[in-house]
Amino acid sequence: MRIGSLGLVRGLVGYFAGLIVGMAVVVILRLALGMSAWDQEAVWVGGLISAIIGFLLGVGAMSDWLKWTRGIETPLHHGPPAGKPAWTRYFGVDYNHKVIGIQYGVTGLFLLVVGGSFALVFRTELADTGISFLQPGTYNTFLSMHAWVALASILLGVGGIANYLVPLMIGAEDMAFPRLNAFAYWINVPAIVTLLISMLFGWDSGWTAYPPLSLLGPVGYQMVFLAIFTIGLSSILGSLNLIVTMLMMRPKGMTLFRMPILCWAILATSIIQLTATQLIGQAFLMLSFERSLGMPFFKPIYDAAGVNIGGQPILFQHLFWFYSHPAVYVFVLPGLGVISELLPVFARKPLFGYRWVALSSLAIALVGFLVWGHHMFTSGYQPYLRVVFMISTLLVAVPTGVKFFSWLGTLWGGRLIFPTPMLFTLGAISVFLIGGLSGPILATAATDLFLHDTYFVVGHFHATIFGGFVFPFFAAIYYWYPKITGRMYNETLGKLHFWLMTPGFWLMSLAQMTAGTMGMRRRIADYDPALGVQNVQLLVTIAGFVIAFSILIMIYNLFTSAEIGVLAGNNPWRSRSPEWQIPSPVPEHSYARPISIVGEPYDYGLAGSSYVAMAGAGDD
Amino acid sequence: MLKLPQSYSDRKHFLIVGALVAIVTVALGFFLLAILPIKAQASMQAEPIKWLFQLHLWLIAFLFALVVVFMLYALFVFRRRKNDDSEGEHFEGNTALEVIWTVVPLVLVVIFSFIGLRTLQDATSGGDEVQVKAEGFQWSWAFSYPNGVTSAEMVLPVNKPALITLQARDVIHSFWVAEWGPKQDLVPGMTTSLHITPTKVGEFQLKCAELCGLSHWSMAATVRVVPEEEYTAWMDAKLAEQNLQTASR
Ligand code: HEM
Ligand SMILES: [Cu+2]
Ligand SMILES: [Cu+2]
Repeated sequence: MRIGSLGLVRGLVGYFAGLIVGMAVVVILRLALGMSAWDQEAVWVGGLISAIIGFLLGVGAMSDWLKWTRGIETPLHHGPPAGKPAWTRYFGVDYNHKVIGIQYGVTGLFLLVVGGSFALVFRTELADTGISFLQPGTYNTFLSMHAWVALASILLGVGGIANYLVPLMIGAEDMAFPRLNAFAYWINVPAIVTLLISMLFGWDSGWTAYPPLSLLGPVGYQMVFLAIFTIGLSSILGSLNLIVTMLMMRPKGMTLFRMPILCWAILATSIIQLTATQLIGQAFLMLSFERSLGMPFFKPIYDAAGVNIGGQPILFQHLFWFYSHPAVYVFVLPGLGVISELLPVFARKPLFGYRWVALSSLAIALVGFLVWGHHMFTSGYQPYLRVVFMISTLLVAVPTGVKFFSWLGTLWGGRLIFPTPMLFTLGAISVFLIGGLSGPILATAATDLFLHDTYFVVGHFHATIFGGFVFPFFAAIYYWYPKITGRMYNETLGKLHFWLMTPGFWLMSLAQMTAGTMGMRRRIADYDPALGVQNVQLLVTIAGFVIAFSILIMIYNLFTSAEIGVLAGNNPWRSRSPEWQIPSPVPEHSYARPISIVGEPYDYGLAGSSYVAMAGAGDD
Repeated sequence: MLKLPQSYSDRKHFLIVGALVAIVTVALGFFLLAILPIKAQASMQAEPIKWLFQLHLWLIAFLFALVVVFMLYALFVFRRRKNDDSEGEHFEGNTALEVIWTVVPLVLVVIFSFIGLRTLQDATSGGDEVQVKAEGFQWSWAFSYPNGVTSAEMVLPVNKPALITLQARDVIHSFWVAEWGPKQDLVPGMTTSLHITPTKVGEFQLKCAELCGLSHWSMAATVRVVPEEEYTAWMDAKLAEQNLQTASR
């Protein structure tokens, strides 16, 4: 097999070819227009746009569409590529949602490791006062990269959960638009390459990229803007596909209120992604134009009389947070859905208040659109806005509470068992509780005037994101691993992972919050010994390393168990969900015959009830 | 009314859990107060912030105890025993309970909105007997007083309401003296302000709280709060010194 037959390799060649061609075109255009040949902003932007297109052409994500424009029909290809080993399909364009789901999930896990390593680098620097090995400029780049790489990893992880599971859970053969699905995955890859290249040039504003600072620094900013814009495009296309799939492709008998609960969470998430993502795309595009073309959107410019005839820095913050607040629910709603999905299976008891849990996801998503200003209490906007955003933000706590209480109701009176996925689910609840409860204290504006931009906020959002995404993502990986590979993971290693990571994380969160209340600002390369936070900082660093180590144990477990794990059978968890009624690993076409839904999804303990009926087959 | 399954109607469980929640709430409340020692305490505006912060900690302690005690109790009591292959109780939910745990938090939200509003007013208002302008730029601070005195450190008389006006010369910065409580951004193209009435004499550090580039971490200035006589003396000396400078130029 030639290496060049891998789509990924062809894509990367296309990327660098596109980069060179694009840069050359800009240089030639500039010369033709009588400008100097080299302007790094313009040349790089032109080069990178062309590089991303080059990647997509190289990998073949648009081949079918291009053929259609020439009137050539292309049947949907199934199965591994002809004449190549089966694993190669994961490295090229493949239209099967299960392959795409794995591609998303594994890329997400890869980025989690990369983003996490960046954090370990600067956490090592912070373990003690004094600048030791990271100069402040490099520190700022690592810090900023950590955030966006980690956020990209979450978006891809969410894509992995959604793409793999939604069609399986609603008994569909695939997503509504398989080619769009593959395209939406593959545009992430050149975006990630672009994001990583930005490190060579550096950028130092943190993920929020507030102007005017983000208008000043090195050309690395342009790469970040373009990368995030492209990842955003993937979010929009992917969520559109998911919404259509869930609304149009459910089997007979599956009303909306009989969908597996995870689908509700994905539906709410997709509504946010489809609508809010445009705002960050727009905001970053405007920054890009302001840098490369000098259009004054955000930076004030004064005329001779000292009147501002330029832009308004705060405008950017509104645009940015109008996406980035709802985005935090994109990160956590699927995870909360995983918690609600797994608890009934391990409690052997119906999900408490299914409709309330389902609708609370929608409520969180909708209220989440109205709270963005809580990130701007100190920004200098009109003071009365603080009151508006304080009240709307506090309201989010209500549907969030409904979820917690319903989870407790699900556990109460069950027959609980505790394999690794259940442990991670319970860990997720405990960590998300820390994160959630530290939210209202930031929402009452007065307290936030102190806490804003301190380590308290760092503690808050890491706890929400770990509790709402990372822990449930790991629970999901362990839980569906036998369905994906046909084999069980190693339970001992799974439990070891859990018992290292969970206490490590509790410690890290609390220590971060302590540092914040003692006056430690966030995003600083070094801190004043007079603050007295050295011990706390050292604890955070140690806990960070423990968490990282435990994740390596998981990755080892996942790799080795695929070969040597015991065979899992169709339904090791005795779940009622459709995907567990078919063989593991799932066959190419998932369901041999269409399924129909004949009952409630979570009627554990109700004798004689069933959820799924397989047409023609007698077993249940 | 739906018949409750045994685990829900058995009073014993709820008495035990209730008692545990009460104990854990108190213990956790004191634990949180100890590990989250909020630094704001040296200005009139810091007082309400600290008060509300600690009120929140008690609510957090209660809610955390409520969820965690219920959860741990359930994990222990309702765990599957050896050789028990039965399923859990079939119980799909209870609308009355759902309404309760929607409405009670809603009432808490109303209460905290009200308290939050009052606290916000107290934490952001004050007089302007003393006025200082603070300018932030990459990566330092400069202060000036209405009488034309300029200074690299900020000096304020204790117990006098001060109005600090804020201007940024290049990018966004944020004015924060942790001991004073609130912070406020400095935004290019705007003038923002902060009311502070310092109540403790001493030397504090003003630090920039908004990432502003390479040396953001070290963008600080000294702030001195002094008795009124000392303030007047300092101002007189500054006036004399700076008039001298102008004269000798
Ligand atoms: C009860 C629910 C929640 C409330 C009331 C709440 C409130 C807040 C507030 C007021 C801030 C601004 C703090 C500041 O910058 O000074 C904040 C920051 C943040 N929250 Fe939450 N939050 C909640 C849940 C969540 C959830 C579920 C997530 C999900 C991941 C989340 C993620 C974040 C992030 C990422 C930031 C920091 C953004 C930044 O400045 O870089 N929060 N939260
Ligand atoms: Cu937010
Ligand atoms: Cu700064």
